[in-house]
Amino acid sequence: RSVGAVALPGQPGMAEAEAAGDAGLGPAAAQDGAELAAVIGATVPTGFEQTAAEEVREKLGSASRISKDRGKIYFEVPARSLPQVHRLRSVDNLFVVVQEFKDYQFKENKEDALKDLEDLVKKLPWTDPLKVWELNNSLKKKKTKRKKHNLQSPASRGKLSDGGEEGGADQNNTNDQEDCAQNPVAVEPTGGQDKENPQGVTSRNGVEEEEEDNEQSEVKAEVQASSESGSKADEAQTGEGEAKVLRFRVTCNRAGDKHSFTSNEAARDFGGAVQEHFQWKADMTHFDVEVLLNIHSNEVVVGIALTEESLHRRNITHFGPTTLRSTLAYGMLRLCDPQPTDIIVDPMCGTGAIPIEGAAEWPCCYHIAGDNNPQAVKRAANNISSLLRKNESKDSSTALGVPLDVIQWDICRLPLRTGSVDIVVTDMPFGKRIGSKKKNWDLYPACLMEMGRICTPGTGRAVLLTQDKKCFAKALSRVGHIWRRAQTVWVNVGGLHAAVYLLRRTSEPAQDTRPFW
Amino acid sequence: PRSPQAAEVRVRPVPFNAAFVSRLVPRLRWDALREAAESLGRPSELPPEPSPGYEADEEFLRRLHHVLLEVEVLEGSLQCPDSGRRFPISRGVPNLLLSEDEA
Repeated sequence: RSVGAVALPGQPGMAEAEAAGDAGLGPAAAQDGAELAAVIGATVPTGFEQTAAEEVREKLGSASRISKDRGKIYFEVPARSLPQVHRLRSVDNLFVVVQEFKDYQFKENKEDALKDLEDLVKKLPWTDPLKVWELNNSLKKKKTKRKKHNLQSPASRGKLSDGGEEGGADQNNTNDQEDCAQNPVAVEPTGGQDKENPQGVTSRNGVEEEEEDNEQSEVKAEVQASSESGSKADEAQTGEGEAKVLRFRVTCNRAGDKHSFTSNEAARDFGGAVQEHFQWKADMTHFDVEVLLNIHSNEVVVGIALTEESLHRRNITHFGPTTLRSTLAYGMLRLCDPQPTDIIVDPMCGTGAIPIEGAAEWPCCYHIAGDNNPQAVKRAANNISSLLRKNESKDSSTALGVPLDVIQWDICRLPLRTGSVDIVVTDMPFGKRIGSKKKNWDLYPACLMEMGRICTPGTGRAVLLTQDKKCFAKALSRVGHIWRRAQTVWVNVGGLHAAVYLLRRTSEPAQDTRPFW
Repeated sequence: PRSPQAAEVRVRPVPFNAAFVSRLVPRLRWDALREAAESLGRPSELPPEPSPGYEADEEFLRRLHHVLLEVEVLEGSLQCPDSGRRFPISRGVPNLLLSEDEA
């Protein structure tokens, strides 16, 4: 993979548009690019901080610090590694840290506390983080060009008009982002979208989400010279090229009970000081720079957002009512430590979030996805087709296949041979949005038995996500002879408190009661 | 279920990974696989048995890789050898659900 950040400013076709702004900074950034280091903050699914830290270590070679503010990790990388940072699969959102205060002393009086925050602004080391932010923007521009190019293809059109219930489902899922619980202005998607469509082209929220997915997934592809696609008009529209006043907003997340002010107040006052200091224009919905003020008891972190949309739905274009975040799917898969040539089965795959993530990141394993619901199977198959289309090389008309199959089956009667599967990983019905609690009482033990049958004794393992912890614990106690609980991770899924259980298959062989398979 | 019958088959290239294919061999029911390959019109591709030293036999592994991973049945069916019951395959997805009375 080429060093994306350094290569960018030299692109033919971008030169004119970037005259005043980026290009002026571009070459300088390029020179600095090698030396410029960034402290990156990443939000990850709560409970999977350790997993994310391992991925960072593995792919970027950096050690991470796990914050007390749950669901966040911090690590340092050279700024030129930004493309790789965006390819991390366990990360929902990214920001560049301006400064961290491990033990910030807040004044007891509200006015004093807020004044302190205001005064802080001019003392913060903004220069380097802003350079990182700019570098990040040039990466995003590449994505935008690609995205516009892809939007012309009939494939995307087809997906977007598939509409109906998928569109409806998207609306629900947009609200599931639990990142900014305390930020009153949660209109993140449109903020990002307007950057690319300044003429005020509005799209349905659901549609945007799907487009963003296409865009986000582009990050995974090479950041290539894309002078053949896109137009100079794109560059002019985004307007970074001209000496334009930047628009910004401040998002404040505050947790802890000893503060005399609310997150709204902090955001407002801090924002005021930022506006004063930079002479930027405050704009809640159409912003270029999102300044983050994260306050967790005495830990204060000031950052600048590097992602607009969460990366978590990257692989999924066809949503279902309970589609799992890709980042959570990735975390679950990592937990069971897949080895090359392992056979990994998701017997209740829904829209296929887990097996698709699996096939993308662990292509040396064989993935099988199944569900009894024909809608789910259809969506999973469609999501796989979308993934294949993204993988299409320019030369061949057929996309390279991925080691992933979809089957319609019954979880209690799996058409798989006893002991033939290495890993079972699935999102079990919660009994809230799908199924019911009563059904779970019968379903859970039957599932565990059948999963135990297909799984290889001794070496097999299962990673199961469920919100119905009581039912699960009871079911597990009945199958102690085939499953041992190895680890539990407490997670938050769409506002519900859930758990991910890592189970190990005991050496005891299963009774093969299936004559027909 | 085996004996795939195919109304529509697609061949899609998949990157070859020798170690992966080789490790699958002991887990396959060879005769079932051969029968499947035969009914899809590819009988000569697989030997009656994997011969000793197959791990190093690249040509064998490539043929196996082709049959296992690159040939897809888009429309057709699978048949259970015991009951004779046929299971449909539609748009590449087999439907292996049993009806109430069959379970």
